[in-house]
Amino acid sequence: MRRSLYTVLTFTKINTKRFFRDRLAIFFSIGFPLIFLFVFGSINNGGGDVSFSIALINHSDSSFAREFSDQIRSSEVFKVDSDIETLDAAKEKMSRSELDAVIVLPDDFGDVKQGDTYPSGKAEVVYTQNNEQSGRALESILEAQFQGINSQFVQAAMPFTVEGNKLNERSLSGFDYTFAGLLGFAIIGMGIFGPINVFPELKKMGILRRLSTTPLKVWQYFLSTMISQALIGLISLAVMFIVAILIFDLHVVGNWLELVIFLVVSIIMILGIGLALGGWAKNERQVAPLANIIVFPMMFLSGTFFPRFLMPEWLQQISAFLPLTPVIDGIRLIATEGKTLIDIAPQLGMIGAWMVVIYLIAFKVFRWE
Amino acid sequence: MVEVRDLKKKYGDKQAVDGISFDVKKGEIFGILGPNGAGKTTTLEMMETLRPIDGGTSLINGIDVAKNPEAIKKIIGIQPQSPAFQDKTKLTEVIELFAAAYGEKVNVMEFLDSVGLTEKANNYVEDLSGGQKQRLSITTALVHSPKVFFLDEPTTGLDPQARRNLWELIEHVRDRGITVIMTTHYMDEAEILCDRIAIMDNGKIVAIDTPKNLIKQLLARGFKKKQVVEQANLEDVFIDLTGKDLRES
Repeated sequence: MRRSLYTVLTFTKINTKRFFRDRLAIFFSIGFPLIFLFVFGSINNGGGDVSFSIALINHSDSSFAREFSDQIRSSEVFKVDSDIETLDAAKEKMSRSELDAVIVLPDDFGDVKQGDTYPSGKAEVVYTQNNEQSGRALESILEAQFQGINSQFVQAAMPFTVEGNKLNERSLSGFDYTFAGLLGFAIIGMGIFGPINVFPELKKMGILRRLSTTPLKVWQYFLSTMISQALIGLISLAVMFIVAILIFDLHVVGNWLELVIFLVVSIIMILGIGLALGGWAKNERQVAPLANIIVFPMMFLSGTFFPRFLMPEWLQQISAFLPLTPVIDGIRLIATEGKTLIDIAPQLGMIGAWMVVIYLIAFKVFRWE
Repeated sequence: MVEVRDLKKKYGDKQAVDGISFDVKKGEIFGILGPNGAGKTTTLEMMETLRPIDGGTSLINGIDVAKNPEAIKKIIGIQPQSPAFQDKTKLTEVIELFAAAYGEKVNVMEFLDSVGLTEKANNYVEDLSGGQKQRLSITTALVHSPKVFFLDEPTTGLDPQARRNLWELIEHVRDRGITVIMTTHYMDEAEILCDRIAIMDNGKIVAIDTPKNLIKQLLARGFKKKQVVEQANLEDVFIDLTGKDLRES
């Protein structure tokens, strides 16, 4: 037993060293997922705040209109495109969905009408058919603002009022979902694409065949691959966490040790898919189509690039059974929702079940040549 | 040491190995010769546990290959036709890996030294020449002190200097008491190196004896070469002009 372990550890040690000498491998395991992190992180940055891209066209020169425009420009809710000065220019941008709506202040906006003691006017909100939601939302926002202003000028009793109450709790941001998905993507990259590229090459060169003439066992070979992949995987994921925390303001609320344990289990399970595919395939041509059939559904349905709750109900139910789904859900539940390993027993159970199935297949179909 | 009896292998309709039998004594260099497709490599692979045996038996040190392949693996060393190693691996690590595959820890430098690769110890395998790879491969096959050493066309593609160097290495292995079984396409190699040879054709052994005896038997049948044999050949000229020193490193 001790000899067997020595075999495994020596293979692990040298394989891990080899990885760090290979710049291309380092790029694909660490650099590549980081690029995705930057791309998707930038898209999602801003944490799901609602903001409207609007244009403001002011035809009035009253002081009230000026003040009102300044207020809108400085508001966080509105992103005002200051390049647009005419309605036609705004319409063109709206037709390309680059603008949500236009606020038009007519030339008599804010004037004090004869007989009145206060300014008045009617702002116009212009939007296209596709942007009805934003348009209506904008209408009610403006209406609420005017109500506040109106009450300053005209004293009126307001029997019903509404008050917004911001809770102190954080809800999940878009980035929290994206980040868990990106970790899933990185695990797939290392665990599946690694072995299916390396194994057929080793077979072609006769390296695995040469090893098969020694007493080395398949389980020893697999175990050493698992340990070094888990190690390399943890380093790669750690880099992603560091970048996400420093640059994209990720808050990890869960227990780090539990997170590491969960990630190791996940990496080993997904690696099994790569070992099964790469171990079975005689050459690259044979394995590529099969790998795509297995990887792409997981890539799109397990919540890698967009969250599963956006899918139709029936699809969510099916995709819940993909091997990557509990991985991504589990990472999010621990890291950003602070759940414990016991809380996520359903996810762990599913990963365990897949692990048994995958490794049974992997050992069964493995070929040394 | 090695007993092969009525060994058979069929690929589809073709009887690749057709009931061959031979014995190899301890400390002997035994050559298997034959044209391409004669069944040399298949014979070797069956004896090495790499290919299932269709019929007959192969015993090494009294152990049946078909019945106990795991025990056979521990007492044989194998040099494949074209040795390959994973890149970005140092020579010392290659030896360490192969020793570990047998669950053993060895003095790595001693093994590199035995094949003249001490200076290359910390290089990566991809920096080695063809001959150096062959030498590294030989020493990796010996990390567990096997009783029988198989080589499949070890000198194919090597320059004359590297060939001669490899012959010396193989003789050293034999001198340590290890039985050597090799295939080759080169008659000069078989004549110089092998204590006995078997000539195969179409899956059968057509002759088996020492090279000297085989030549004597041919002459006894009244064979005469058309040309008078010269006292030197072109390779002798080549070696005389370029020297015996290895051209690598």
